[in-house]
Amino acid sequence: MSEKFSRRDFLKLAGVGAATSAILTGCGPASRYVKREPYMQMPEYNYNGQSTYYATTCRECAAGCGLIVRTVQGRAIKTEGNAGNPLNLGKTCARGQATLHGLYNPDRVQEPLKRSARGGDSTQAMDWDAAIQVVADALKNNKPEEIAFLMGMAPDHLFDLVSDLAKATGMNAPLRFGALGMFEARATLSKAAENLFGEASLPFFDVGGAQVVFSFGANFLETWLSPVSYTRGFAGLREAKTKMRGKFVQFESRMSQTGGKADEWIPLRPGTEALVALAIGKLASEIRGGAMPRAFENVDPIDAASKSGIKLETLEHLAGMFAGSNGALAIPGGPALGQSNGLAVAEAVLALNAISDNFGKPGGVYLSALAPNQSEYQRPASAQEMQEFVQKMADGKIKVLFVHGVNPLFELPTALGFGGASKSVSQIISFATFPDETAREADYVFPDHHGLESWGYQRVATGSAQPVLSGAQPVVSPYYNTRATADVLIAAAQLAGGSFASALPFKDEVEFLHGKVSALMGEVDGSISAPDLPTFMAYFQQHGGYWRNSDERVAPKAGDALNREISAEVAEFAGEGEFFFVPFVSPTLAEAGANKPWLQELPDPTTTVMWNTWVEMNPETAHELGIENDDVVRIVSEAGELEVPVYLYPAIRPDTIAIPFGQGHTAYGRYAENRGVNPADLLGQHFNEAGDLAFAGMKVKVEKTGAKKPLSRLESMMGVYGIGLGEEH
Amino acid sequence: MATLSDLKISEVKLGEEHTGKWGMVIDQDICTGCQACVAACAMENNLSFVGEEDSGYGRSMHWIRIERFWEGEYPEVKMTPNQPMMCQQCGSATCEPVCPAFATVHSQAEQLNLQVYNRCVGTRYCANNCPYQVRSFNWRDYERPEPLPNQLNPDVTVRRRGVMEKCTFCIQRIHKAQDKAKSEGREVVDGEFTTACAQACPANAITFGRVDDPESMVSQLAKRSHGVKHLEELGTLPNVTYFKGG
Amino acid sequence: MAYDKKHSEHAPSGQHGGHSEEYLREKHLMLDPLPRGQMNDMVMESMLAKPTWKFWVVASLLAAIVAYGLFYSWGRMIAEGLGIAGVNRPSYWGIFLVNTVFWIGISHAGTFISAILRVFRAEFRRPFTRAAELMTTFGLVQAGFSIFMHMGRVWLAYWLMPYPNQRMIWPNLHSPLTWDLLAITTYLLSSTMYLFLPLIPDVAMARDRSTGWRKTFYKTLALGFRGTEGEWTHLRNAMNIFAFAIIPVMFSVHTIVSWDFAAATRPGWSSTIFGPYFIVGALHSGMGAAIAVLAVIRATMKHMDYFIRGEHFDAIGKLMLIISMAWAYFFFNDYMVQWYGGDVWTKQLLHFHEAGPMGWMWFAMLICNIVIPWAILWNPKWRATPWLVATVGIIINVGMWFERYIIVPISLSINRMPFTWRLYQPGVEIPLGIGTLAFFILLYMIASKIIPLIPVWEVQEGQMAHELKKFGRETVVSVSELE
Repeated sequence: MSEKFSRRDFLKLAGVGAATSAILTGCGPASRYVKREPYMQMPEYNYNGQSTYYATTCRECAAGCGLIVRTVQGRAIKTEGNAGNPLNLGKTCARGQATLHGLYNPDRVQEPLKRSARGGDSTQAMDWDAAIQVVADALKNNKPEEIAFLMGMAPDHLFDLVSDLAKATGMNAPLRFGALGMFEARATLSKAAENLFGEASLPFFDVGGAQVVFSFGANFLETWLSPVSYTRGFAGLREAKTKMRGKFVQFESRMSQTGGKADEWIPLRPGTEALVALAIGKLASEIRGGAMPRAFENVDPIDAASKSGIKLETLEHLAGMFAGSNGALAIPGGPALGQSNGLAVAEAVLALNAISDNFGKPGGVYLSALAPNQSEYQRPASAQEMQEFVQKMADGKIKVLFVHGVNPLFELPTALGFGGASKSVSQIISFATFPDETAREADYVFPDHHGLESWGYQRVATGSAQPVLSGAQPVVSPYYNTRATADVLIAAAQLAGGSFASALPFKDEVEFLHGKVSALMGEVDGSISAPDLPTFMAYFQQHGGYWRNSDERVAPKAGDALNREISAEVAEFAGEGEFFFVPFVSPTLAEAGANKPWLQELPDPTTTVMWNTWVEMNPETAHELGIENDDVVRIVSEAGELEVPVYLYPAIRPDTIAIPFGQGHTAYGRYAENRGVNPADLLGQHFNEAGDLAFAGMKVKVEKTGAKKPLSRLESMMGVYGIGLGEEH
Repeated sequence: MATLSDLKISEVKLGEEHTGKWGMVIDQDICTGCQACVAACAMENNLSFVGEEDSGYGRSMHWIRIERFWEGEYPEVKMTPNQPMMCQQCGSATCEPVCPAFATVHSQAEQLNLQVYNRCVGTRYCANNCPYQVRSFNWRDYERPEPLPNQLNPDVTVRRRGVMEKCTFCIQRIHKAQDKAKSEGREVVDGEFTTACAQACPANAITFGRVDDPESMVSQLAKRSHGVKHLEELGTLPNVTYFKGG
Repeated sequence: MAYDKKHSEHAPSGQHGGHSEEYLREKHLMLDPLPRGQMNDMVMESMLAKPTWKFWVVASLLAAIVAYGLFYSWGRMIAEGLGIAGVNRPSYWGIFLVNTVFWIGISHAGTFISAILRVFRAEFRRPFTRAAELMTTFGLVQAGFSIFMHMGRVWLAYWLMPYPNQRMIWPNLHSPLTWDLLAITTYLLSSTMYLFLPLIPDVAMARDRSTGWRKTFYKTLALGFRGTEGEWTHLRNAMNIFAFAIIPVMFSVHTIVSWDFAAATRPGWSSTIFGPYFIVGALHSGMGAAIAVLAVIRATMKHMDYFIRGEHFDAIGKLMLIISMAWAYFFFNDYMVQWYGGDVWTKQLLHFHEAGPMGWMWFAMLICNIVIPWAILWNPKWRATPWLVATVGIIINVGMWFERYIIVPISLSINRMPFTWRLYQPGVEIPLGIGTLAFFILLYMIASKIIPLIPVWEVQEGQMAHELKKFGRETVVSVSELE
């Protein structure tokens, strides 16, 4: 008994009364036959004034950083980075810090709910037995191919579990999707890697080892792939310990937080990134001498200069910089890839690295190390794949939709029609922790635990030289009557019987985890080793996961990266309007941070705006249009329109406007609801060749509304911009 | 007869004589402005969030803020290096003498500026007089709905309305580390603990430690020639050194 | 006019016209004596006059404003925090401190008129020393309200008082705010004493002429004063001592208030000239307020046109003009000292004063404080016109309020950290400020019904000392040494 019950559960039971069977069955994972393992050698029990630290994994984005959570008397107090985890080496981003505001969010889904009508607020509470029966019935009473799972981007244990289930039963393979992946254009990156290197893997850019970094739109200090790891890389680039201070050049039409750190910020005309990269390649090859590679042959730098709006001298200077350095690195990413020619951009920029021949070398391009229990890179779904899926839903081919870890109604552009298509799905079951938009449209909400209350593991897709499997364990017992989705599925599969039962022959989630992780026990090069599974699992939890000690990044086979034709065509833009439209992910809120009050109150790194959405506009342009700060304007695209206050942003092209993604929720709790707008509403259904959404390929109109909405800024408009000082120019 | 040495006058050492105890070095060249320190500080120190209206009216409770300005005009526009600004823990702090209630006092043991919340009556003179403008005032009892209070750090007082607050250099962590070292019969080792902001910083732009120990990381860094201290000309003897970048 | 008949009966007749005895008597209260008994009756009558319906309307309106503006709003602020006011970072002090300085300034005129003019034997002061002293006390009450309102945790305000306590700490004597509190408290106590002493003979007079609760009330206040020679000697000694002693208190209190600003490490505040500048500013607004109060008393109360005449407005008008010039000089001085200092932040602030979003206030201040007084008060005829001088007095007060507004919230908007610059928009300060003004007026209205507003003994004393003598055809005023 003492093995199975932690002291906290005992207290809980004692407090509520042992006769309450709901509590017994509702006992969270913390009360299982395995114990949570504290970080370092510490007693699990809590003493007054003593903290207990647990290692787990951050679930705020899909990067998979390791966390150490400080708990005091059963409460999670503070998250720190896990210094042992090779991915983040003890560091976290702001979202990782604020994860506790998710755990203790006042608006969590507190128990299984049955919704009276989709989209309505009226719900009935259920007990978990009934909930499991609902899931079991859904599995049993539908054809496997009519059942689909939509999941978050993180390649975690639940994804493995659902994949196994799908494989065994013929269900649709689970789709992983996230707005971050969409705005990163992950599919484009891996497609370009496939085209150039023959392997559809996620490239890894060793920023820290480089001398000169040319980033074409990659916002690697914000939300891109693995921001904590890339920020560390950036610090390495800048630190002059063993080498010269590295230079950093950013090419983009709107200065991102990343661009703000650049030594040279090159505002190019959107859509000309490939052309510019190839022109720089050509000029650099000329400087380096030798035969002109095929990729650059047909590019005219003068043409590139005129089309991109960059002066020819600047291009020459940049080419000189790139060619003159032994450690030049070019990174494609962000809005540069989210255009009709995104794949060409990715290829052109990746190919640029061939000039400095940095493939597989420090300061160069690698392919990311696969996680320890992974055989190939598992790419999240691209927007086009999502569109195909939505089409399937609309066609009535999906009868049951399970949603976990993703909020498609918010994250997918409205134009993709998820909302409409969901009406053709007879049953939607959400496992959302928070009452998000999709949960509101679901027939049932069977809330999963918060990440900090959960077991699991997560494969680190990129960012670490070593293969990392971040481990997760509950740091506190579940606060509400929630249940691990893996447990719900396992129980439901047993109830459903047949191939479902045989696909998931586990007692519970933990047994499933054991099975998955046990394969690592025999490895020799691991961070932990143990002779038996319980000890191994204890170490796994205690240290926050498992990683190999060796650098397993793959050197890309790039023999003929430059020996191929790369299109220098300028991107096409959809819609009519005088402005290029750049949506970008808010670095502090990202796709799911809006319900955390302290994330709302973090000033945006570039504009210092808090609690709202703004549109960035060049002050000169605004002046011509008679628009001032805080004026609410209507942005009209072919797909939709929205009204948003203006921020006169000095570092954006006069022909471009930009809106952060992260706000504009219509559900998702008191801090997120009805705040700001969602730029995804403006995006049309246009994809690049790799299937990523051409989110930066829109043109929009701007109309004045006459209304004003003062934005909350941390900065002083007087002190920073001289507005209101009596010195207006 | 009382001699001069009998008089317990707290001497303020000026100029080269002054050495603080705890200090920070901030490398603005690698600070990316990501706000991780701000969030970490808020979580560690039980900062209230104030909502859209108040935060836009200069009432946010950030103990650390990241300043950035602009240089030049488009297209040659540049963001100035991000400048994290928090209490500089001045050796001769202008906030201290003006408080009528002794609520903001100098710790002789830690050489920090302490803010004694339960002694503060809210005249806000200290905040007026802080040249760095890093003090936050509790203009209201800011709401923290259940169950958010579960997250509160028990080592840090929760402040009510009418009370001034500011960065403490995570003094609760200093004390914890010192207690631990004492119980183990040793001195606190450099790098054994750090402040919440420095701990979170993904770029490692913030270094915290003993400035009176020439061997510590922070002292070594501070010796670099291009470090500056803000508004040093006022004689405040700040303990935070900035590397401007480049 | 009520007193006219008796007056003419009493007046010697048949003299030359022009600057004749007749003219001088009409002009000067001191040369126009009435019997003590008659003056007593006049003062009692004006005090006991049954309040008109207008009085009640005004008083209840003011009471309502006080109840809402002062007590309800303050209560709300105590309950909810200073968030409902407009203070923010960097303007941590707002209208609260503006009003504090403003009311302390108002209170200065009382002491100035009563003590300094008494010490220097300015004879015109006699009828209105009481009115001025009341202003001091009532103004300080408002200043106290304003400063306490501004505190974040006013329920702990007593911590600022030096008394032995379980916390084992004294207030911080380094802090200008501590000195401030001590100075204001001292000033309030001494000015109340100084109001009380000259009041004794008058309440004794009132005691002898009233019945009911008033009799008890005045009896208590009069401390058994009978007007014996010995009592008068003691009283005169006490008043003399207080008159001399309160002058340095008055000077110290406003210089100490100025230290709140001058001792701070802030551009625009750290100015060495602030002490005298604040004193002159205080006198400027105080004289303006005093003359406005006199005009109202004269216009609304019975028999007051006998006691308060054009000569008084003329004399105070002259003082106002001189003080306005002194203020202009100190303002210029302060500006120059700061500008020549060359500090970039200070220069930025000075520029912000004139050209910032509140630049209009800077110019309005100069117009109210310099241009209008100089333009009007030069003219002796205008100077003797009560409503006009009173209007100028009110305008000066508006100007001086602006001056304090520029010093406090506007100067606070700009500092050495441009990232934090922000303007200040008052919130609940407005009802609170109006509440203090209403309370001041209300206190005055109540006082006018229970306290003899004219120090009859002082007027009589002066009238006895003044004499018109004839040297040939010339009528000459002679003043004998008192006592």
